[in-house]
Amino acid sequence: MENSFIPLQIDFNKNKALVKRYSIKWTPTVVILDQDGEEHHRFVGYLPPEDFIAQIILGKGKAEFDLDHFEQAMQCFQEILVRFPKTEGAPEAQYYLGVAKYKVSHDPKELKLGLGVLQRDYPNSEWTKKAQVYSLIPG
Amino acid sequence: MAKQIQWETSLTTTKGRAKKEKKLILMDFYNNL
Repeated sequence: MENSFIPLQIDFNKNKALVKRYSIKWTPTVVILDQDGEEHHRFVGYLPPEDFIAQIILGKGKAEFDLDHFEQAMQCFQEILVRFPKTEGAPEAQYYLGVAKYKVSHDPKELKLGLGVLQRDYPNSEWTKKAQVYSLIPG
Repeated sequence: MAKQIQWETSLTTTKGRAKKEKKLILMDFYNNL
């Protein structure tokens, strides 16, 4: 983690400016920021270690994705799917993996392939519902 | 033994470090009840 992140701890009661800026309403809230302080991912509440680590890697992947670093983003999403496939972050990682593959290849079939994996591995996930529209892609 | 995390406490300082070291920022809001 220390290779990718600088950890910053903010006291909810003592830093009202940051609490307001990031609209923090409950603790713990973990927010993944880029070097300019722009938010890319957040989660609220205490998580078991596997879920916590998966969310951190997901945050890194989403930051890389937002910054158009699609290869690095795909590495993060794949790491979640290999190391933490049973966590809540895994279907979201699978969703974004398909989108990142499409961004790199410009081939819409990647979206449909991603949907297939979601339907097989995470049939009840909200991310499978969100990807359902890709079933309309020909081929 | 697990390595102790060295937490930063200022976003401004942390942004400077993040730019220099090409890293992201993991910001944790906590509350001592």
